[in-house]
Amino acid sequence: MAEGKLIKPDLNFVKRVMSSGGESLKKCYQCATCSVVCNMTPDDKPFPRKEMIHAQWGMKDKLFGNPDVWICHQCSDCTAYCPRGAKPGEVLGAIRKVSIEHYSFPSFMGRMVGDSKFLILLLLVPILLFGVVAPYVGQLIPPQYLPEGRSPAYLHEAMSSSGPIVYAEKLMPVPFIDTIFICAALFAAFGFFIGVMKYWKDLTAFGGKPKGSIMSAAVATISDFLAHKNFKKCEVTVDRSKSHLFVFYGFVGLAITTTWAIFYLYGLHRESPYPLYDPMKILGNASAIGLLLGISWVISNRMKNAEKAGKGSYYDWLFIGDVLTIVVTGILSEVLRLLGIGILAYPVYFIHLVAIFFLFAYAPFSKMAHMVYRTTALVYAKSIGREKES
Amino acid sequence: MEKKLGVYICGGCSIGEGLNLEKLSLVATKEYKAPICKTHPAMCGEEGVATIKTDMAAEGVNTIVIAACSGRVKYDVFDFGPANIVERVNIREQVVWSHDWTKQVKVKTKDAEGKEVVKEETQPNDDTQMLAEDYLRMGIVKAQKMNQVDPYLLENVEKSILVIGGGITGLTAAVEAAKTGYEVTIVEREAQLGGYAAKQRKQVPTKAPYTDLEPNTIQDKIKEATGNSKITVKLNTEIARISGAPGQFAVSFKPAGTKSKWDIPPKKKEEETKDKPAEAAETPAEEPVELPADQIKCEDILSSDPDAEVFGAVIVAAGGRPADPSQFEHLGFGKFANVITNTMLEEKAAKGKIVRPSDGKEAKTVAFIQSPGLAGDDSDFPYASSVTSMISLKQANYLTEDYSDGKAYIFYKHMRTPGHYENFYKSAQNNPGIFLTRGEVKSVTENADKGLTVEVHDTILGEKIAVDVDMVVLAAGMTPETQFEPVINLAYRQGPAFRDLELFDGYADSNYICFPYETRRTGIYTAGNVRQTMTNGECVEDATGAALKAIQCLESTNRGMAVHPRSGDMSFPEFFFQRCTQCKRCTEECPFGALDDDEKGTPKPNPTRCRRCGTCMGACPERIVSFKNYHIDMIGSMVKAINVPDEDEEKYRIVAFICENDALPALDMAGLHKLKYSADIRFIPVRCLGSVNTIWIADAMSKGNDGVLLIGCKYGDDYQCHFVKGSELCNKRMDNVAETLGKLRLEPVRVQQIQFSIDEYEKIPEAIGKFVEVIEGVGFNPMKGF
Repeated sequence: MAEGKLIKPDLNFVKRVMSSGGESLKKCYQCATCSVVCNMTPDDKPFPRKEMIHAQWGMKDKLFGNPDVWICHQCSDCTAYCPRGAKPGEVLGAIRKVSIEHYSFPSFMGRMVGDSKFLILLLLVPILLFGVVAPYVGQLIPPQYLPEGRSPAYLHEAMSSSGPIVYAEKLMPVPFIDTIFICAALFAAFGFFIGVMKYWKDLTAFGGKPKGSIMSAAVATISDFLAHKNFKKCEVTVDRSKSHLFVFYGFVGLAITTTWAIFYLYGLHRESPYPLYDPMKILGNASAIGLLLGISWVISNRMKNAEKAGKGSYYDWLFIGDVLTIVVTGILSEVLRLLGIGILAYPVYFIHLVAIFFLFAYAPFSKMAHMVYRTTALVYAKSIGREKES
Repeated sequence: MEKKLGVYICGGCSIGEGLNLEKLSLVATKEYKAPICKTHPAMCGEEGVATIKTDMAAEGVNTIVIAACSGRVKYDVFDFGPANIVERVNIREQVVWSHDWTKQVKVKTKDAEGKEVVKEETQPNDDTQMLAEDYLRMGIVKAQKMNQVDPYLLENVEKSILVIGGGITGLTAAVEAAKTGYEVTIVEREAQLGGYAAKQRKQVPTKAPYTDLEPNTIQDKIKEATGNSKITVKLNTEIARISGAPGQFAVSFKPAGTKSKWDIPPKKKEEETKDKPAEAAETPAEEPVELPADQIKCEDILSSDPDAEVFGAVIVAAGGRPADPSQFEHLGFGKFANVITNTMLEEKAAKGKIVRPSDGKEAKTVAFIQSPGLAGDDSDFPYASSVTSMISLKQANYLTEDYSDGKAYIFYKHMRTPGHYENFYKSAQNNPGIFLTRGEVKSVTENADKGLTVEVHDTILGEKIAVDVDMVVLAAGMTPETQFEPVINLAYRQGPAFRDLELFDGYADSNYICFPYETRRTGIYTAGNVRQTMTNGECVEDATGAALKAIQCLESTNRGMAVHPRSGDMSFPEFFFQRCTQCKRCTEECPFGALDDDEKGTPKPNPTRCRRCGTCMGACPERIVSFKNYHIDMIGSMVKAINVPDEDEEKYRIVAFICENDALPALDMAGLHKLKYSADIRFIPVRCLGSVNTIWIADAMSKGNDGVLLIGCKYGDDYQCHFVKGSELCNKRMDNVAETLGKLRLEPVRVQQIQFSIDEYEKIPEAIGKFVEVIEGVGFNPMKGF
């Protein structure tokens, strides 16, 4: 009796993966075509065949701490070639989602972000925060305690205001925005921290202690990211290496822009809006256009490959939709402001704020978290030498 | 009938190019004095057929020999009605299509200067011509020796059908037969109808899309049968004996579980139901069987029960019994309360939610074991099949139906879901609560709470695993009822049961691929689980087929025709009893038990049981068995009609008896593909190699032929013989022939038997060539010319 390892298949895990975009999971009959066509997998103990059966059998312990789940970039070559329509690419995507959910802190947030039932509730938080709570709180504060005496306005007040459109003046003064977003960012950062700590523990428990330097592994991983080296190995969805690159650098540009803006505001005490020829503004606008192109390309690629690669899950589309909303409303806010159409500009800017909050505050629970978990997994994988030899 | 011979030679299909038809005609006109012999360039054309018909009308021709293509084609064109004898001589496939028309001959001539030179010249091939001439001789002789067939008709053919078994198969067979107007009696041993089907919760899908379980429909079936006025149901009843033959089976019933004086008496030693070699005729003296005092003295099989009911045909739908898996000790069946079989689970599931036998607690986690998992043994449980695979899938579905958190593990060596059932497998596979893996189950152990731990090795999970479960279900098979009891209790001299049951693990023998419902007892058809493990849907289909076969039997018997495989044949064996020596060989060797000898050993024929293979004719040392159109003298005369060349002609002659079921069509196909083979060989079609009497071989050898080849179907456990035992019996007789040849100082290799299946036509030239080489190796028959 001693030889067999007692396993405890978790039926709920199976159902969770199936309802998270992996509904084809159980079709797999272990032919291993997926592992053969995969360009990402190491030759030793290749994925995604083993992940498929472990997921079918609800053996979550073999999946959560398994870096292979994140070495997968969902090229969908496996899905395209799968003779049984088991869509391993989509299933691994679903496993990643369940994994993000598993490591999320607080864990109920993971549940809510991954489930379309809670979308309205999640949206209500920033809507109420920006639309009701901030103006209400602003009115409670005596003007002398407010910077320049500005208090956040209710949306309809801003819309009916006259004069040049200045979002920070007529709708949401900077200190309020900063307070809300700093809180959101801290919440997210703390969630990520706890999640990654747990994840790292599981990784090392599953695959052993790192052999090489984590630092050099991290440097190598980041340099891979910058060139999108892994994505280029994809075949069916090879275009994603470019579209994702645009999105990636769009975000990088916007991150730099944001930092720059903080420097302007708090370092130089220059207040927005800034003229269009300002280098910071140029970088911001260029990044926004890059991000718009990138995300549109992502959407078009997904539509084009839906038959071969699968149509994607709610989780994927929620994230894509949020990014699209952010970039579209961001650009529109600027355009409408310049055109002076207040009645449209303020609501659009309001949506923009809500969408950004959604991205920030829910980052550890949404697909945004892939940024952190994939990085962690790949750094770990490199540190134990688990990589495809090319 | 006063015979008037007409010989018609066709010149079409290149026969006219390959042969000298005028010379061929001389065989008929000169040698056999045929009053009419005509050639025509296309005998099968309107003009050709009209020629024959004109001669029939004007000249009174009634014995027609047509030398043209194979008798397997154009039989409709050359059908001149039952009042005339038609013999087809195959000079197309067997002569001009398979032999060279010309040959290169070295001819000595003198050139202009008067010197002798040797020149190559192309001449007509006289070997091919001789072959055609021999075939025509044999055909004419055959037609002359053939008599008109007079069918055997029972005075009264009973047309009701007996169905043994009232489960889903029996009920369906009864309903289907009744629907077509036949009276049916169902005999069921239990107190109620329905069998195992009545103990099921649901059934595996029977129709598209084959994905979901279907409600059990057995109750509707029972209502349909009991509500049909043509169907009589006898519950709590068994068969004491069935005597008689198709069209007139006399059936004695008895209350289930009792003994009756009409039970079949215990067999005498030497009548064990094994087939015996031909030479086993010498049997030890019969010893009377002493019966224990408490046993009822059973009537002899030849005495008849005045109270017996008469039926025309029998459908055996006796089903089976769940196989006992307790021999696999490591699985704990019989040892642990919560290890049960699939049948036990089904009965539980039919009554309610699935619970543990040990304490009635919910069984939410269940392991289904498909194979015992013995080291080095890939087998599933005995009598397991695709059906046991599907039952496990079905029962795994019950579990997830009963409990939303129910988990079913299925450990299999083989997951067999043929055909449309693949969809059923896919749907089960898609159920999150069903966990499937191939694996070898190493052990089942019991834990403190009566729960079980199952250890499985070699899984597709890539490791040795163990799972904790509430219950273990073994996918045991269903043993056919015929493994335990004869069921049919035939009052036949060969014994009460189906034959060779041990060869087929207790399943009734049939030509599995070609004639699935047939047994070796004419008029008795098996269906359902007694024949092969089946799902409910398959049972229904099988039962319908068997009902059709039973009806076919009645309607053939009614017309004096053979049922199968010589469907429609009206000839039957006749016995010249004055010369019978009571050797019992025919009774013993008949593959179908058609003969019941009396206490003296004189065979009592039952022509409606007979399949017309002629095995009795081949067996009889006194040669007293004959058919009107197939008898010892006829074939013997054909052998003697062959023109055997003198030794100085340096030509070999070989006689080949060829089975007309598979080997002869293969030979035709070889001709069709223009494959060439030796022209030294003369083929004589026979009904079955079992009908080959050794006298024909003696005839062939004594006439100076150099060898005899017997070409028939494959025999042995995976036989292809249409009469099951014919080619095997022939092979056994050949041992005796070899001995006889030895006494005559003839090499035993001169007589050989080879096996051919219908698709092996390509190998025919090679096989013939080999035999010719053997004969050339041993040289001419020293008896040539005597």
